[in-house]
Amino acid sequence: MKKPILWHGLLAAVLVMACASWGLAGDLDAFKGRKGEIRIAGGTAHIPVMKEAAKRIMTLNPDINISVAGGGSGLGIKQVGEGLVDIGNSGRKPTDDEAGKYGLGMYKWAIDGVGVVVNPKNSVKSLTKAQLKDVYAGKIVNWKELGGEDKGINLYTRDESSGTREVFWKKALGKGEISSKALFVQSNGAMKTAIANDPYSIGYVSVGHMDSSVAGVALDGKAPTLENVKSGEYGVARGLYSNTKGEPTGLTQLFINYLMSDEGQALAAAKGFVPVK
Amino acid sequence: MSEKALKWTDRAVVVFAWSSAIILICALFLLIGSLLKNGWQTLGLDLIFGNAPPLDAILLKRRVFGGLFPAIAGTLLLVVLSVSLAVPIGVCAGVYMSEYASAGLRRILGLCFDILAGVPSIVVGLFGFSGAIILHRIFDGFRPCLAVSAASLAILVLPYLVRTTQTSMQGISPGLRITALALGASKMQNIVYVLLPRSMSGILSGIVLAIGRCAEDTAVIMLTGVVATAGVPGSLFGQYEALPFYIYYISSQYTDQAELMTGYGASIILLCVCLALFLIALGVRKGLSHQVFYRI
Amino acid sequence: MMINRDKTFKTALFICAAASALATLLIFGFLLVFGLPLFKGGQFFLLLGRPWAPGQGMYGFLPMIAGTAAISLLSLVVAFPISLGVSFFLHSLAPAALGKILKRLVQFMTGVPTVIYGFIGVFLLVPLIREMFENGSGMCVLSASLMLGLLISPTMILFFSDGFAAVDKKYIQAARALGATRVQTLLFVVLPNAWRGLMTGLIMALGRAMGDTLIALMIAGNAVNVPSSLLDPARTLTSHIALVSAADYHSMEFKSIFACGVTLYLLNAAAVIAIRRFGAVGKDKAHV
Repeated sequence: MKKPILWHGLLAAVLVMACASWGLAGDLDAFKGRKGEIRIAGGTAHIPVMKEAAKRIMTLNPDINISVAGGGSGLGIKQVGEGLVDIGNSGRKPTDDEAGKYGLGMYKWAIDGVGVVVNPKNSVKSLTKAQLKDVYAGKIVNWKELGGEDKGINLYTRDESSGTREVFWKKALGKGEISSKALFVQSNGAMKTAIANDPYSIGYVSVGHMDSSVAGVALDGKAPTLENVKSGEYGVARGLYSNTKGEPTGLTQLFINYLMSDEGQALAAAKGFVPVK
Repeated sequence: MSEKALKWTDRAVVVFAWSSAIILICALFLLIGSLLKNGWQTLGLDLIFGNAPPLDAILLKRRVFGGLFPAIAGTLLLVVLSVSLAVPIGVCAGVYMSEYASAGLRRILGLCFDILAGVPSIVVGLFGFSGAIILHRIFDGFRPCLAVSAASLAILVLPYLVRTTQTSMQGISPGLRITALALGASKMQNIVYVLLPRSMSGILSGIVLAIGRCAEDTAVIMLTGVVATAGVPGSLFGQYEALPFYIYYISSQYTDQAELMTGYGASIILLCVCLALFLIALGVRKGLSHQVFYRI
Repeated sequence: MMINRDKTFKTALFICAAASALATLLIFGFLLVFGLPLFKGGQFFLLLGRPWAPGQGMYGFLPMIAGTAAISLLSLVVAFPISLGVSFFLHSLAPAALGKILKRLVQFMTGVPTVIYGFIGVFLLVPLIREMFENGSGMCVLSASLMLGLLISPTMILFFSDGFAAVDKKYIQAARALGATRVQTLLFVVLPNAWRGLMTGLIMALGRAMGDTLIALMIAGNAVNVPSSLLDPARTLTSHIALVSAADYHSMEFKSIFACGVTLYLLNAAAVIAIRRFGAVGKDKAHV
């Protein structure tokens, strides 16, 4: 393709803007002049960071295509292991089994919590772990029993592929039962939307995704906030991983490097996660 | 039945029929009305191109973020690919069914096409996905992509094309059928120069509706390579975005009101596309034989 | 020379027809091969009756069968009376102009994308059901059935109308000449003679309801649970495929969705064969 002067001008302008808006230049430079596709799938907590990183890279370099899909951590790990995607994200550390079978390269670039959330209109803002366990097991079915309105509790959960579910199930429910009446949503984003729309709902979502549309529920007195995750006070936490098959090469490596760079880490922080560096 | 009872039945049925019609119309208008009411404000160039200048976006000089352009481009490419795959095969198969197949063969093939027409689209998608996995095992670099979706969609619309072609060719009057033959034309010449042109309007209306089917289907593509963020597809073997999938995606995970509004906008655009295709199909063939609308 | 070309032409056409028909078998073959471990030793039939709990190694799809049955049958219950009423209306009760417009509307409705029904379901119907019953999230069997009912009505109406239109005009004229009203003719002459059309329409609509993915996926809540009330959430076979296909494809979970696929395929094939048996509308209008 012939690139007219105007285009170069535009590119320069975008670059200048890019530099101006996130202060630092340089970390994206590695992508200049490269070409190709990066496929990303898996963990849905990662998506906001992935999308923004993809947007920055694709804006800088139109010859690079980056696709971002969800599907959950389990899917991310399997698909990257099978070579169906280049980067498989997971909201939990891949098991030794998974890591060994596929020879995964695992890159933890942020720490995130899993918070219990309810609709902001709900007056229940604090639960004990025992109460939460009963709620999810279907033993407590009315908000009244928790000090709220006399309304049924609508449970929301994720499917088995979800790392968020796994962490929540292990660390918040103590591997307790999840009632079969629970409604399923497919991602952290969908969980937040569902809870924001349903006044009598309860669910769990990546702390990085929490905003004013949902209300965090303190668990045994510990609120699911970024600060508490950072300090280690809030225990339902996990690392966010980007996994590759073997050592990453080419564009995939550049992408992982970018996540680990100052700019990438600042991006993770901006999206509500605790950077690792 | 007594005279009086009959009279009351009469009235009851009339009321029942009228109210059914009114309920149906109201439901449809409520549906479309709520879309338009919530979404009309978002309609505009911003909705499609985000912050990019439209011309730059169309010429692929600038990436569009926050606009529907990549999804529209994906859907457009998808439709063009799958229809150009399906039309030649479907029309040829329809001609064969109408002109050559023996009664027995016609029964068997017809049964196959009917079953194919009835296969739920998610199952066709599953088929495409498993096909892609097999190909991936053979060719390392092969992964679910635009080409897989297009091929799967082609299979989905194939039976419609066969059926519309076959029906419109069989509808040609016997007199017209034999004229060219009597003048010494071969069977092939008769088909190509007489029968096909005569049934063109029927075939075209089938094609137009197949286009609509490819544009609206979500279940097939969600298993075969569509993703939420990909940009305008760079190649046949890349992942892509599409309008119907975008609508599905936004409905469950919009992050703010503005994003939700783009979902409404996308729905209105998709609905308009389908309306336009419907009107074209009607225009192509007045008094459209409506088996083209039957679908499972 | 000419004969030769004719022959090539015929062969080419035949190849197209055979390839298209082959796709039908190929799909079934793929489903079988991928789900093979489940079909060996009759495990398939065990799965039909078992719950789904991958955590405990159970991959039965009883809840999905129940969900599909509940939602699609209920959508028929919603759509049947309305479709019957509308086809009565179109056949002989509508003012000519209105009838024409309505018929076009119905034809248009067959082309309305299901994802749009789902989208409106999420933002219009689900909150409404939630407020109205003050019980549950609004994502439930009822919401999905109502939307699905709207989706399948046009299919039913078109088949019913065809069935009515296929009734011999002489019968109708005779009844009218004997002094029967339009409604009486409809009820006692047209309807009894159009039962094939009615059956075909019902089966077609049921097939469409069972085969639809997006509406149930978006507004039925997807809980893996045999629904016990209209306000319970449920998961259909189709949405199960959509949800689980995202899983690891060496697992039993993944293989079991091919069993779901086979079930759907066979159900729809059975519907098609039933329709061909009924002949009537199916034979000369819809399928030939």
